[in-house]
Amino acid sequence: MSLIHIENLSIYAGMIELLAPISLTVEKGERLTILGQTGSGKSLLAQAIMGNLPRSLHSQGQVSLFGRMVDNAERQAFWGTQISMLPQEPWNSLDPLMGAKQQLEQTYRMVAGESPAEARQQAAYTLALQGLQDSGHKRVDQLSGGMAQRVAIACAMAGGAQVLLADEPTKGLDVSRRDQVVQQLLSQSEQGALITITHDVAVARQIGGRMMVIKSGELVEQGQANDILTAPKHPFTQALIEADPKNWNEAEGDTRHGEALISAQDLTIGRGDTALSKHLNFTLHQGEVVGVVGDSGCGKSTLGDTLLGVHNAMGGQVKRHSKAPRHQWQKLYQDPTAAVSPAVSLRTLLNDMVALHKIDRSRIAPLMQQLGLAEDLLERNSEGVSGGELQRFCMLRALLLNPVFLFADEPTSRLDPITQREVSQLLVDVAKQNGCAVMLVSHDPDLIEKRCDRVIRLSA
Amino acid sequence: MLRLSFTQKSGLLILALLLAYALGAPLLQSGDATTQNLSQILTAPNADYWMGTDHFGRNMWLRLAEALQLSLMMAALCVLTSALIGVTAGVLAATRAPWFDRLMDGVVTMILALPGLVLVLIFAAIVPGSFWMLYVAISLIQWIEYFRISRAITQRLTQSPAVQSSQLMGFGEWYIFRRHYWPAIAPQLFTIAAFGAANAILMMASLGFVYVGIQPPLAELGLMIVEHFSYYSDAPWLLAQPLIALALVVLACQLMGRGKSL
Repeated sequence: MSLIHIENLSIYAGMIELLAPISLTVEKGERLTILGQTGSGKSLLAQAIMGNLPRSLHSQGQVSLFGRMVDNAERQAFWGTQISMLPQEPWNSLDPLMGAKQQLEQTYRMVAGESPAEARQQAAYTLALQGLQDSGHKRVDQLSGGMAQRVAIACAMAGGAQVLLADEPTKGLDVSRRDQVVQQLLSQSEQGALITITHDVAVARQIGGRMMVIKSGELVEQGQANDILTAPKHPFTQALIEADPKNWNEAEGDTRHGEALISAQDLTIGRGDTALSKHLNFTLHQGEVVGVVGDSGCGKSTLGDTLLGVHNAMGGQVKRHSKAPRHQWQKLYQDPTAAVSPAVSLRTLLNDMVALHKIDRSRIAPLMQQLGLAEDLLERNSEGVSGGELQRFCMLRALLLNPVFLFADEPTSRLDPITQREVSQLLVDVAKQNGCAVMLVSHDPDLIEKRCDRVIRLSA
Repeated sequence: MLRLSFTQKSGLLILALLLAYALGAPLLQSGDATTQNLSQILTAPNADYWMGTDHFGRNMWLRLAEALQLSLMMAALCVLTSALIGVTAGVLAATRAPWFDRLMDGVVTMILALPGLVLVLIFAAIVPGSFWMLYVAISLIQWIEYFRISRAITQRLTQSPAVQSSQLMGFGEWYIFRRHYWPAIAPQLFTIAAFGAANAILMMASLGFVYVGIQPPLAELGLMIVEHFSYYSDAPWLLAQPLIALALVVLACQLMGRGKSL
């Protein structure tokens, strides 16, 4: 009996086909990795299997779980205990009012059906395992992106489901945490089956098992992960593997920088009463690309907020040496879905900004092309486009403002390697051409090494 | 903009019919609602008087229409005023200095400490029979709900990356209200407004029922109920009319307030 069997599953938005018919079977103890481009319909496939597609979309074809044909309503009965999904945005999948430990405890109690005492013990144990023993009382808004991701993983696994669907499970995690998460997913897969959706070739390599490569809604290659990754047949797969940050060209040796732009003197940053990083001293110059690295939760995003003046420093000073107006100090958010209003279409938002700052409209089209954004994307609102597309839309808005300082918080974490390479190169080019200082936060040491002039390392 | 469920549509239909009757009734029958005709008291509905006459021989078709006009106008005025004040105060409390938030919180707690109807009674007692006093009193109670909802929603949003991003891009406060706060608040308002309208109508009728609301000879639903009460055995249709009208208005509002079931 196969755990999951799908025949000719396709997904449509009205008449438009988003995912071409696809068939797959997952047996007990098997691992399946779906590798693909940003916006290629990978996440939709996972949602179609779970039976929680957005209502504007509909699917065709047959899905059987645990040897039984099931419709959407029947599948809901399997959620949590039989089949579980790790959604893309941990922020949105956790309760904003409850502490991390409390949520986990409730999952153990309500979904796994353990006694209160057992659940408490299990929750504490799992949190400690994830390195979160000191953050159990924190709510989602007090956790960093990576920490929230780990809590979401713990919750998804707590129900003891046989089949786990992980949608970009390692997005925004640094390498050591990423390996840890992958190990966890692997141990989970021994009890049942694991389907991982990712654009990260390294993760695909670690997980192994079977692999399917999807490009714009179509299956281009499938087989054993090892075979595909060592000898890719399809040109798209080859390009995808080649675009891994490890294989990028080094940043050019142009290290001439302009004048000093902003400097931190003995800066201490923190959230609430907790200091996250102390005694930071650095100066950023025009045209400089500086990487920021550090463990998840060490205050990378807080550093950006402090430099931009939207968050108060706990000690020390931030000095701006430029008189550029406020709107030229920009930030790219780690979670673009939370940073764009879903109330109106992206075009309206863009027009609002163009009108406010009297931006030359002729600049929009070429920049959109460079970012790989299609024109018709603007007609939709932020909920109707993929995370990667929204991230690039945010970049479009920021770059149109001619920033002098750009704090880019994981700007490419949602993009597949090919797009990642182009978009990060674009950021560097903009910095060099316009004399803009870019602060690049990433969990990927290769990306930082290839794109940045120097690195600031934060430690807790 | 608003997509309504079947329940909401039926509520809207009932309300539209009542409104059509309230506004259109005087066009179909001549005369007015206060002219007495003591030779024709307590007549049953007939060709001349479609809904009969009351104990002073006044035309019920016209009287009921006038009472409905008054109730619906009160409901509309109260909803508009309290929503405007409530949302403005709520958004300001969430976005301004903390002392303003605490001040508003104090005011709200004080008003909430009194039972709503008692507060309206006090106001009504100051100037008995004044429509405008009732309007001020009911709005004074009802803005609090709008205030609390908009304050809670706005507070959550002020810290969101979306608002921060708009601020960093140089957008002003009005823009942030229009693009971020209002779209989040608006869907909630419709429900509060529907229930608020029902409450305003019931409150005015309650005051009429205890003779501190609108004074005779004006037609008002609560007042009509208590006036007709003594004739319930001779002319049961007479008592039934304002009761049914009141029930229908409240039902229409309540149906409209029902959100979509997910």
